[in-house]
Amino acid sequence: MTRRLGVRRLVRFAVSLGVLMVVSFAMIHLIPGDPVRAALGPAAPLELVEARRAALGLDRPLPEQLLTYVTGVVTGDFGTSFLTGEPVGEVIASRLPNTLSLALLATAVALLIAVPLGMWAAVRTENGRNRGTELGFSATTGTAVAVPEFLYAIALVTVFAIALGWFPPAGKAGPLTYVLPVLALSLGPAAMIARISRVETLRELAKDYVRLARAKRLPAARLHLRHVLPNTLTATLTVGGLLLTSLIAGGVLVEYVFAWPGLGLKIVESITQKDYPVAQGVILVYGALVLVVNLAVDLVLGALDPTSAIKEA
Amino acid sequence: MTGWSRRNAPGVAGAVIVAAMAVLAVVGPPIWGDEAVRIDAAAILQGASPGHPLGTDNLGRDLLARVLVAGRYSLLLALAATAIGAVAGIVLGTLPSVLPRRAARLATGTVNALVAFPGLLLAMFTAVVTGLGARGAVLGIGAAIAPGFARLTQTLAATVANADYVSAARMLGVPRRRILTRHVLPNIAEPLILNLTQALGGALLGLAGMSFLGLGVQPPDFDWGRLLFDGFPRIYVTPEVALGPAAAVALAGIGFNLLGDALARAAARTSVVRERTPAPPVADGAGEPDPGAVLEVRDLTVTFPGGVTPVRQLSLTVAPGEIVGLVGESGSGKSLTAAAIGGLVPYPGTVTYAALRLGGRDVATLSDKELGTALAMVFQDPLAALNPALKVGGQLAEVAIVHEGADRAEARRRAVDRLGHVHLPEPERRARQHPHELSGGMRQRAVIAMGLMGTPRLIVADEPTTALDVTVQRQILRLLREVVEETGAATLFISHDIAVVGELCDRVVVMYAGRVVEELPAGRLADGAAHPYTKALIASLPDLDTDRSTPLAGIAGTQPAPGQIGLGCAFAPRCPLATARCESERPELVAHGPGQRVACWEVK
Amino acid sequence: MIIKNLSVRFGAFTAVDDVTLEIPDGGVVGLVGESGSGKSSLARAVCGLVPHTGSVEGARRVQMVFQDPYASLNPRMTVGRTIAEGAGPKEVERLLGLVRLPAELAGRYPRELSGGQRQRVAIARALGGNPGLLVADEITSSLDVSVQGAVLNLVRGLRDELGLTMLFISHNLAVVRYVADVVAVMHHGRLVEVGPTEQVVGEPAHEYTRALLAAVPRLRG
Repeated sequence: MTRRLGVRRLVRFAVSLGVLMVVSFAMIHLIPGDPVRAALGPAAPLELVEARRAALGLDRPLPEQLLTYVTGVVTGDFGTSFLTGEPVGEVIASRLPNTLSLALLATAVALLIAVPLGMWAAVRTENGRNRGTELGFSATTGTAVAVPEFLYAIALVTVFAIALGWFPPAGKAGPLTYVLPVLALSLGPAAMIARISRVETLRELAKDYVRLARAKRLPAARLHLRHVLPNTLTATLTVGGLLLTSLIAGGVLVEYVFAWPGLGLKIVESITQKDYPVAQGVILVYGALVLVVNLAVDLVLGALDPTSAIKEA
Repeated sequence: MTGWSRRNAPGVAGAVIVAAMAVLAVVGPPIWGDEAVRIDAAAILQGASPGHPLGTDNLGRDLLARVLVAGRYSLLLALAATAIGAVAGIVLGTLPSVLPRRAARLATGTVNALVAFPGLLLAMFTAVVTGLGARGAVLGIGAAIAPGFARLTQTLAATVANADYVSAARMLGVPRRRILTRHVLPNIAEPLILNLTQALGGALLGLAGMSFLGLGVQPPDFDWGRLLFDGFPRIYVTPEVALGPAAAVALAGIGFNLLGDALARAAARTSVVRERTPAPPVADGAGEPDPGAVLEVRDLTVTFPGGVTPVRQLSLTVAPGEIVGLVGESGSGKSLTAAAIGGLVPYPGTVTYAALRLGGRDVATLSDKELGTALAMVFQDPLAALNPALKVGGQLAEVAIVHEGADRAEARRRAVDRLGHVHLPEPERRARQHPHELSGGMRQRAVIAMGLMGTPRLIVADEPTTALDVTVQRQILRLLREVVEETGAATLFISHDIAVVGELCDRVVVMYAGRVVEELPAGRLADGAAHPYTKALIASLPDLDTDRSTPLAGIAGTQPAPGQIGLGCAFAPRCPLATARCESERPELVAHGPGQRVACWEVK
Repeated sequence: MIIKNLSVRFGAFTAVDDVTLEIPDGGVVGLVGESGSGKSSLARAVCGLVPHTGSVEGARRVQMVFQDPYASLNPRMTVGRTIAEGAGPKEVERLLGLVRLPAELAGRYPRELSGGQRQRVAIARALGGNPGLLVADEITSSLDVSVQGAVLNLVRGLRDELGLTMLFISHNLAVVRYVADVVAVMHHGRLVEVGPTEQVVGEPAHEYTRALLAAVPRLRG
């Protein structure tokens, strides 16, 4: 990737981050009526509501509030929880690693299963040979893709934790507790990537450079791993990046099922209990994670793909 | 099971599931509605029993009835969310094509940014703002669906708006609105409708997720997700209470997905019928190898299932140092002939021959190493023929590494040497570059150099200059001639351009509808061609001396498709000389003067 | 009509660089050049399909026939409706006749036609716009030789019958020579030589034209 492109991506990232901050700030103000009143309930005494409003700075002019909010966020101050009085920044800091480790592990597992599986299926079903394999592959992955992660999670808990007792059903304590959440999170995406990997491999197999390599009688392993694989990686990685972001979000449901002490569990709690500062902070962090992942994917792809500079121009 | 039903089994299953869901949504509430809300204090929080197959909830209501009734609400909410998302998305996606440039870029940028955000995140944002409940969840999931639709609309509209037929309509002064309704919309409707099916499934799952988290549907209403929310804490004691809603959600997701997939595939499919036919019997009569030929092909036939035979009993020989041109129009089978000789006919094509010999030996008996170094192939598009991800030098070196056990450094030296040999300037530097950094002519030189890594005995060049400019074409033709003279390789040069073939080749083989119709020395092309097809082909080609005052000769009609060739001469329907005999009886290739053979009843 | 000081820029890249070219009424000007010479950009600029500087004077109702007859017809419209869009439904039969196609084809969809037939339909559509100038951009380069001859004959016939003014663009010098009265040679976005066809082909003045001529493959060496 050329340096200019990298700079342009960074600028885009910074702008998006700014917009995200404004949007998350606006969230509280978009709530119809008075958020503090909504949070404390109709029975709360007026003085308490007023005091809480003043503490949050909601009685100041909007631009001033925005400025305070942005300065706060930049310095790591996300406000305090309505419910517990804990600083939101600390809540996030303690939970973020749990969410990230789950998403990263699941992405790795999904890619490790899916890319070889998709390539294998493509090579076996090239030009419509082995219709049985093709049918089995597309039916299996088509089904696996369509089952949402929380159903995988419930099924895994029911079978492997409750019925068989092989793994703990909930919580985070040691490596064993990772197995079921990571599986639940990665099965659907693995099916999706396997399909993409197959389609991309088929596309490459039809190209002339593969015909030429075959005419040169290169061994199959070399043909597939050295020639075809690198050309399918761009698409696979793009999807992998999208996947990581969707896994960060999908983690919410899985964390809920496994009572996993991550951001997801926290955001569900905070929305249900109308703990707005926490919800606001967690959503901002989720959004920022998405932006960071996309930036990273862009930069990595740019470095990998020798033609990206030309495509851009 | 027939091929059709096997291929479409997933789609049919999806359609059946979706139809069943629709039926359930209609008949569920009237039939089980009362039972679903009947409170039974005597049967609170029960597990499965004959009276309550899926158990009861905390008010003693029958869970099976509740699952069956909840179908309608779940589907309606999903429909509402999809409708909101689709409308918002399509509007947002159309904006860039109607707004002024700056605003359009802003709209595009917004869509691009939103697409990156996972739907659930957008849905939660909406849930915070609107509060808990079905309304918030539907709005949120709708908002989550919208960016995808917007992106799709945008790309589709941009593709269609740049299509030549839209340009043509604009030049004809067709009003904007009409262009939109007649040209753009019909051509983007199909993919949008497809996406709708998939979005509906996604909305259903998304809403189920929101309700499962307690952020969606609130009591006393219930959808599948809410039932799962209620049942989930009880799975330690009575897992069956979660089974009903979980199965319903999974089934719905699978149904919509399989149906969407099948529809997408049906829309993308071009050819449908592909039944297996038994391969034709192997022709015999291989005979003794021709000692004077490097390449000897006898009765080569390529068949595809369904009785399609694009190459029929083709025979030819190429001597060392000889360049034989194989000329024909698209569909004549010339490229498949090249592929068959290189062993590259794609499945499910079947290749049979009486003899296919390289250097006097049957190619089937040659090892990969022997073939990989003795056969050089050159294709039409040199950019496609080089691997875009690998450096040019590495791609060349590979042959020496794989087949000759050369070490990296040695193979590399050889690669640079070969690149220099084909007159590629600065071979050292070029070897370190990727194919896209080279010009078209340089790439074709690199492909030829790749063939020279081994010791080529046969070069098969399939339209190697068609994608190049004339001035570059000239250089590549010269290079080919030079390489052939130096290596003494037999060369088969495939082209649609009879002038190029005439200029480069020693001998010309003309193909029509899968067969050789004439074979003659290249020098005799201009004046000595005998077959009416060859003559017409030459006459229809304008050159720099063509008489401008008379019309060019053309050939009426079209070449028959490989599946529709009759018993007689395939050219007969277009031939000015054709007689009744030509229609019914196929002429064999017979000698006609020195070095010339013709397949025509009317040539004496 | 006359093209005056026309330039087309894509960002920093200049595809067409200050081209001035006259196209006499009822004449056929052939524009020849290799890939990347800017000839297609010039065509699209003349048709108003790409932003450009400079002017195109005296050309009312410009119509264009495109290179790829598979992409230039709306796959969801019948031949009849396609042609009627510019000319009105009454003219369809006459226009099909002009391009030597049977009237029955009006009810067919593009996918049911051969490449040569499609290109004729595209020509009929353009003629339906009653063009003051017809721009033909590589209209035979995706056709087989035996079909190309017939399309070239059609182009010449139409010009004689209707007095069409044409800008005929091709990479193939022999093809241009066959249909054009005047040949313009384009190289790197500029016109390097313009002149009567026989003169440009017979006594090329510019070095690039000579190289181009020398490279044309010939059956009769």
